[in-house]
Amino acid sequence: MWREKLSIKKDNAIAALYPSAKFLIVCLYSFCSLIIGTIKIEGYPFFLIPWFLIVPILCAASGVWKNFIKAFNKVLFIAVIIFVVQSLFVPSETIIWQIGFIKVYEAGLQSAIVLSFSIMNIAGMFIWMFQTTENKEISRALEDSGMNYKVAYVFISTLQMIEVLGKSSKTIMNAQQARGVETEGNIFIRSKAFFPSMVPLILGAITNTEERVLTLESKGFDVKCKKTHLFEIEKSGKEKLAAVIAILITTLVIIGRVLAWVL
Amino acid sequence: MGIVIEFKDVSYSYPLTKEPSIKNLNCKLEKGKFYGVIGKNGSGKTTLCTLIRGFAPSFYQGVLEGQVLIEGKPTVDHGPGELSLKIGYVFQNPFNQISGVKETVFEEVAFGLENFGVPVDEIERRVIEVMELTKISHIAEKNPFELSGGQQQRVALASIIVLKPDILVIDEPTSQLDPEGTESVFEIIDALKREKKTIILVEHKIDLIAEYADDVMVLDNGEMIRFGPKQAILSDMSLLEHGIQLPQMAILGNELVKQGVKLDYIPITEKQAKEVIGRTLRKESV
Amino acid sequence: MEKRHSIKDDFSMLALLIIPIAVAVNFVGGQLASLLKLPFYLDTIGTIFAAMLCGPWVGAVAGTLTNIVTGIANPVNFAFIPVNLLVGLVTGFLSRKNMFSVWWKWIIAMVLMALTSIISAAPIVVLVFGGITGGGTSLITATAMAAGANIWAAVLGTEGVFTVVDRIISFFIGYFVIKVIPARTLVKFGCGGNYIRKDNSTSI
Repeated sequence: MWREKLSIKKDNAIAALYPSAKFLIVCLYSFCSLIIGTIKIEGYPFFLIPWFLIVPILCAASGVWKNFIKAFNKVLFIAVIIFVVQSLFVPSETIIWQIGFIKVYEAGLQSAIVLSFSIMNIAGMFIWMFQTTENKEISRALEDSGMNYKVAYVFISTLQMIEVLGKSSKTIMNAQQARGVETEGNIFIRSKAFFPSMVPLILGAITNTEERVLTLESKGFDVKCKKTHLFEIEKSGKEKLAAVIAILITTLVIIGRVLAWVL
Repeated sequence: MGIVIEFKDVSYSYPLTKEPSIKNLNCKLEKGKFYGVIGKNGSGKTTLCTLIRGFAPSFYQGVLEGQVLIEGKPTVDHGPGELSLKIGYVFQNPFNQISGVKETVFEEVAFGLENFGVPVDEIERRVIEVMELTKISHIAEKNPFELSGGQQQRVALASIIVLKPDILVIDEPTSQLDPEGTESVFEIIDALKREKKTIILVEHKIDLIAEYADDVMVLDNGEMIRFGPKQAILSDMSLLEHGIQLPQMAILGNELVKQGVKLDYIPITEKQAKEVIGRTLRKESV
Repeated sequence: MEKRHSIKDDFSMLALLIIPIAVAVNFVGGQLASLLKLPFYLDTIGTIFAAMLCGPWVGAVAGTLTNIVTGIANPVNFAFIPVNLLVGLVTGFLSRKNMFSVWWKWIIAMVLMALTSIISAAPIVVLVFGGITGGGTSLITATAMAAGANIWAAVLGTEGVFTVVDRIISFFIGYFVIKVIPARTLVKFGCGGNYIRKDNSTSI
């Protein structure tokens, strides 16, 4: 009964894909994005733009639209900055638009599309993978794929440690402020607040490490035997289909690239 | 009863130190007995515990002379994991004993069994059983990091007990807990005693040792200065000179004897005090 | 005394538990720096600390894992995995060669650490991001580019100054923490022995 409680049930068929199948999709998609970026019409890699539509469509179909938008904002921010800087600051002979002193150069616009859309494509697909996969699924998949169980331990432990230290850093910061360490003011005053907050944080975390090692040993962590797991992940059965579709699309993209050369 | 732990001429020094932390220790611990270890800070109590579990010298390195035998076999000859199944070790700080990779108390308690590759059905059964014994069933679905100190220490005990070790080494389990937490931890230790586990407990709260332990081991500056049944040792006022705390009732009893009250024996617990003083009072009133 | 190093020995249980702490320290350091509006990232303190204590391979893993974990929220960080990997690797080798023992070695070490970061980061910033990452130094780089500076010069110049100061601060925090760790704990870390003062090591 506990195993059922711990297991993750997903109604959405795409989200329920096994993590390694999702990773294959991400890799092939990124590879295709790079190839499509080299197919140019009059110097512009226009195909990258419709190609990008796959990311939001896939996210919506996987039922993670809201989370995708939240995570994608950061990527979009960088992509927009890159786009603007590239098109305005990379000079070339041809100027496409000019409004007052603002000039959009041709070469700049071309590289703006390549860079910003490649980033959105690749980062966007990774977001899809992480939004449809829980961290402990990733760690189990790592272990199932033959990685040492210690790798999975370090991965999950890191995620928890970030939360734990994040909390204690807030406590320490508050204590420093209460003691009169200033966190406002000019840069030197603010820099001075950094040291007394960081040093006790690190020290506090590492002084316990020896005892934590021994605790793990007490619980048989270093015993060399086949480990069991209360939490298991299962294949949804659609992995092969997903892989076939992904490989098919990749093949088409490669054919397209070759045709563009020939024609 | 059989001997489970034996110290043979044991001296141990941590790396980079000249003075040994344990000096010429010779003693035998019997199966199924509850040993209380007392002494001042730095007298070698924790070192004694780590020697039994083999952490010294396997983890702490340093120099070990003599032999620590667990069921007749030196600790250094045990393979990794072998001692984990024989000896459960509970530390002082409950927070450090959380594995850091589990999201619920249930999984936390199961962690050790997963490491030993115990079949899943058996894990569930044993974890449920142990959670009941340690009274943590109601928090089974909580995150171990979000518990009180007392609850965390009970989870720590549970995740060790679930491995069913015959010997339990428990190093100041209550030093960071409030009275309520302390009581709940001792309820568990008492239950383990009834299960005939061999228990080695380091504890500053001397009244708890007086109540629960069978034998007492007194350490001073790395040497064992007393070892034997608790009644005689805990009522031995000369230990006060070594900076050892003694039970309030023993001090009271001793004071009464000094003032001419005739007591059959020096009490070390409240229960004994009531009994022995009551007996004297009844005799006098006759 | 010549010590032989095997990568497997580097990843002791102790080192394995240092890695999550290192990543979390990177994370918290970066957050704190932006909270205090400092002009530095200060997000490699943990990597540097882990590498100083446990050597190059543990440092490299800590650096890599930092970007993997932050990449889960923002995959753009994956692009900088090589930079943080090299921070850990180079710091670890410097530590192993005992380059943090006296002040003049510190200077050489810090120059090498900063150079590694600049040289490995610049191609990524230029080729992947076209010079701009949206971070704190982007504005300066963009201004330099707008003023007609070569993109490589603009990136190397701005990243350079800030990286050097960043590494100096990170190193000192790591060094200070290591100095507080008791000698009997230090000996259990791959490079910990290098930080035990030899003159009084027997009396501790």
